[in-house]
Amino acid sequence: MSTLIPNAPPDNRSDEAKIELEYGSLQSPEFLYVSKHPAGQPLPTPVDDEPPYYVNVATLLSFLFLIIIGHIRDFFGKIFKPYDYADLIEKDGYAPWYDGFENFYVRRLKTRLDDCFARPTHGVPGRYINCFLRQRAPQLKYTYNGESTKCLNLSSYNYLGFAQSHGVCTDYALKTVEKYGTSACSPRSAAGTLDKHKECEQVIADFVGKEDSLIVSQGYGTNASVFALMVDSQCLVLSDSLNHASIRFGIRLSGAVVKPFEHNDMRILEKIIRNEIAQGQPRTHRPWKKIIIAVEGLYSMEGNLVNLPEIVALKDKYKCYLFLDEAHSIGAMGPNGRGVCDFFLVDPKKIDIMMGTFTKSFGATGGYIAADKWIIDRLRISYFNSHFGESVPPAVLGQIISSLSVIKGTMNPGEGQERLQRIAFNSRYLRLGLKRLGFIVYGADDSPVIPLLLYLPAKMPAISRKLYAKKIAVVVVGYPATPITTSRVRLCVSSALTKDDLDYVLEQFSEVGDELFMKYRKDAPRMKLEDVLKTNAEDCKRPGFV
Amino acid sequence: MSTVTTVITSYPPTADLLEARLSVSFTYYLNMLERIPGGLIILRYIRSSYKNDPIRSVLELILFLFAVHYFLSSKRKENKSDLVKFSGREVDELNEEWQPAPIVEPVGPLEHWRLNEYHVKGHSGSHVEIEQKPELGTVVNLSSLDFLDLSGDSRMKAAAMDVISNAGVGSCGPPNFYGTQDVHVRLEEDLTRFLDAENAILYGQDFVVAGSVIPAFLKRGDLAVVDSGVNVALQKALVVSRCDIEWYDHNDMEHLEQILEELDPILSKKKPLKRRFIITEGLFSYSGALLDLPKMVELKNKYKYRLFIDESLSIGTLGDTGRGVCEHFGIPRSEVAITIGSLATTFASSGGFCVGVAPMVQHQRINSYAYVFSASLPPYSSKVASEAIKIITESVDASGKSKLIKSLHQKVAHSYSKLQKKFANSQYFEVVSDGNGPIIHLALKPAFRASLDLPDYYGNTVLLTTGKPSRKLNQFSEEYNLECYILQQIVDNVLGAYRAWINREKIVYEQESLPVQNPRLWFHVNNGVLVAELDAAIGALFDVSNKVCSRLRSPNDLTKLREELMRA
Repeated sequence: MSTLIPNAPPDNRSDEAKIELEYGSLQSPEFLYVSKHPAGQPLPTPVDDEPPYYVNVATLLSFLFLIIIGHIRDFFGKIFKPYDYADLIEKDGYAPWYDGFENFYVRRLKTRLDDCFARPTHGVPGRYINCFLRQRAPQLKYTYNGESTKCLNLSSYNYLGFAQSHGVCTDYALKTVEKYGTSACSPRSAAGTLDKHKECEQVIADFVGKEDSLIVSQGYGTNASVFALMVDSQCLVLSDSLNHASIRFGIRLSGAVVKPFEHNDMRILEKIIRNEIAQGQPRTHRPWKKIIIAVEGLYSMEGNLVNLPEIVALKDKYKCYLFLDEAHSIGAMGPNGRGVCDFFLVDPKKIDIMMGTFTKSFGATGGYIAADKWIIDRLRISYFNSHFGESVPPAVLGQIISSLSVIKGTMNPGEGQERLQRIAFNSRYLRLGLKRLGFIVYGADDSPVIPLLLYLPAKMPAISRKLYAKKIAVVVVGYPATPITTSRVRLCVSSALTKDDLDYVLEQFSEVGDELFMKYRKDAPRMKLEDVLKTNAEDCKRPGFV
Repeated sequence: MSTVTTVITSYPPTADLLEARLSVSFTYYLNMLERIPGGLIILRYIRSSYKNDPIRSVLELILFLFAVHYFLSSKRKENKSDLVKFSGREVDELNEEWQPAPIVEPVGPLEHWRLNEYHVKGHSGSHVEIEQKPELGTVVNLSSLDFLDLSGDSRMKAAAMDVISNAGVGSCGPPNFYGTQDVHVRLEEDLTRFLDAENAILYGQDFVVAGSVIPAFLKRGDLAVVDSGVNVALQKALVVSRCDIEWYDHNDMEHLEQILEELDPILSKKKPLKRRFIITEGLFSYSGALLDLPKMVELKNKYKYRLFIDESLSIGTLGDTGRGVCEHFGIPRSEVAITIGSLATTFASSGGFCVGVAPMVQHQRINSYAYVFSASLPPYSSKVASEAIKIITESVDASGKSKLIKSLHQKVAHSYSKLQKKFANSQYFEVVSDGNGPIIHLALKPAFRASLDLPDYYGNTVLLTTGKPSRKLNQFSEEYNLECYILQQIVDNVLGAYRAWINREKIVYEQESLPVQNPRLWFHVNNGVLVAELDAAIGALFDVSNKVCSRLRSPNDLTKLREELMRA
């Protein structure tokens, strides 16, 4: 027993067994689907089911108790156990590192479910993920016995199942390391641009349907630095209220005026645009220099899709610019995996700046910005992230180029197609199954992100531990990352999962859901597990299922 | 005054009527109230309060209405008086008329040359091939930040390949959600040990570390005393954190002391204590200067500030075993509260890190944006960085010096003295850095710049004087652009004629919030380059700089250069 996280234990399984554990083989050609939005039809607004009202009341009460008890404990704790609160108290004339208020939820909520977060792992986060066994010890420490257990992985961003240690992509990445070394080290503008970078940028531009692209070594960093190039304090950014932290950070860094609009509400957005153009900048009433609408393709906490056709119409009508973050949708959405444009059959030329990441669908890391050539030219000169941040390392370049080639079908034809159709099927299958079992699930039918609502904060650790014991790894999220009443489990579906895996997930969820009283859905008929499993494969392929 | 009295004296009898009317409807609504659950209690309360003191009831009603209004009104309300009222048609017209500026400034003909960047064909080590210039064959790379030339090392490659064939390339998740692997933890332990700190935390990219760590600890009302020569990552981080900023002259400890002395009486009155930091770099990336750490530590202890140092360039290059400025000056790491650094320079991997005391690192694991909201570093990168630390520490000899670092130091010292000697009599260039860092800075001499009418410095001083960023970005500066172009011509010619690839400073002028010094040539010393090659490059640099600059005798020649750019 040690308090140190151990090294990965040796794995003597055969390559075939490993491959199967990383990417399960397809069980039947019936378990495939092509995700696509019927052109011309309006995007159905996903109905967010409401729980019974006593659940909401109980949730608010839970937080109330948590806050009251938390404050009481803080008050007495500081008197009787000052050692535990040393970090919150001034010492030798130095202010504490952080004040008690900033840290309140961490101290009072997160510590209680600390074991559900940051479970250390090793190896490939593919179909299964290997988690080290650990035992909670005092002072937020853990003890490890050196062993690990493999859990069915519904937590990693591995939509197309490219997280693999075997296969064409890995071979290609290995070859790139062999030839190009471990790192390009310098920023792009010093000696950090390799011929491989140029190749990769062209591949991406072609894939998303833009003239040119620029790749960056981190997705978060891509957004965090890009807005400063486009807007200053005389410009307006209209930002969806559920945009990712990196977008919000980037806008804040640019100093632009930002107006959040209600998530996906096109009517309010239009009202704001019209009003803002008429009013101009605050106080001076000079016209805005430019207005940028910042949205995401697929919202990672809600599983909602952007209403792209309407937003493109709005932006054209009012001469605004559109920034589309496809971090979660690129690769995972559309019949060809080319993101929401592909899904909605919208011409990518209509979108001014397309941003995306390689972390989620391609098993790599980093981000890109794709746009017209004259825009990218400006970025090449003035994008400070590529003048000061490191360039994308060779192995990652290899992984990006090869996984995109697989999706396009130029490398190992057929494989990409299967991956795309499996993620589409798996997403719909699991979503419909959970809905029919009576869970409240948010998001669009085709979205591979499936948030399952728990409401009560105490159910977060409960479900996470119960499923972990049944060898299913899930992510739980609560306040402050979500609104206070809607704590949730977020499932990320992957092509690597087989139908049997999904059936197992449904079975276990059904059982745990009964046990923890979590099947809140009230306005649709509930089905028995056996019936769900019998009919699901057929029914999930029907458009507009409930 | 008279009007008021008339109003009161002519108090009409209708008031009685009104009161009677009101009391009728009032009782009606009170009866309605009876029907809702719990209404009876409210009713009894209103009745008794009305009986005792009717005025009190009115006051309570007003208070109640105000509370309802307060809760219903939106939180982010604008100043209504500031809005102009428009009719629907006017709004349509205004919408019709509005013309936005282009989404980014298009690249003008004067800047176009900056798009011609050299790309490395194959591995970017100490000796490279350049894609645009295949005729040159292999050239000496004096532009890389891989100072120890480890990125092509076979042990490093083997480490990378070993992890990739066991764990794939990406980590596919944020560190708090199943994105923490054994190799990440090992690297954090290695860094902690290497830098003699309590704990370490990894980031996916080096550039975002400052922008994420500083706002996690400095909020509105906290204080940062900052060197006025810091790089853009720190500038932006400070702007985002919204703390109060005081600037001291670049690397000027006397000025710093003066400021701390002035601030002391003001701060000692403030309760509760606010967080205060001194923010600086170990080896400044813009000036190449070395931080005067002993004096700094003395000052920060005297006035009770925490010290934040960006050691992106100094860790792995300074000190006998590459442990950065602390080792260089023989000062324990515990004197530095927060150290940030890069894994993508001497460690030939990718990502960034932060080390310091345990509660500080722990706080970042939940409150630092770039850590929480981003996927963790690829596992293979962690392993590679660990391997680099191992290679550096393994080569330590009996005298306690790492052979690799020692060899780099010798090459730096050699190049520095050689450059100084060579350029001592140059009309045009001088060596402006202090010889400690592996990047040697050269800039045009003030006298020569004066003869060309170039300004002393570029950019704006808004942030420096007000602590708030300028409302606008820096406008394109023709002179700055031309000065950079002169340097680029030298880079091009040294490469073309002598097969040595030196670098020039590449800051994004528009984004700089601080005054910008005149641009510099950067001579990156690399451990993989032979001394003879360094000598040849230095000679070439001297010859080429003379040749290029001798064409420029007056401001007129700059105008010609400008026309040359316009034609191209």
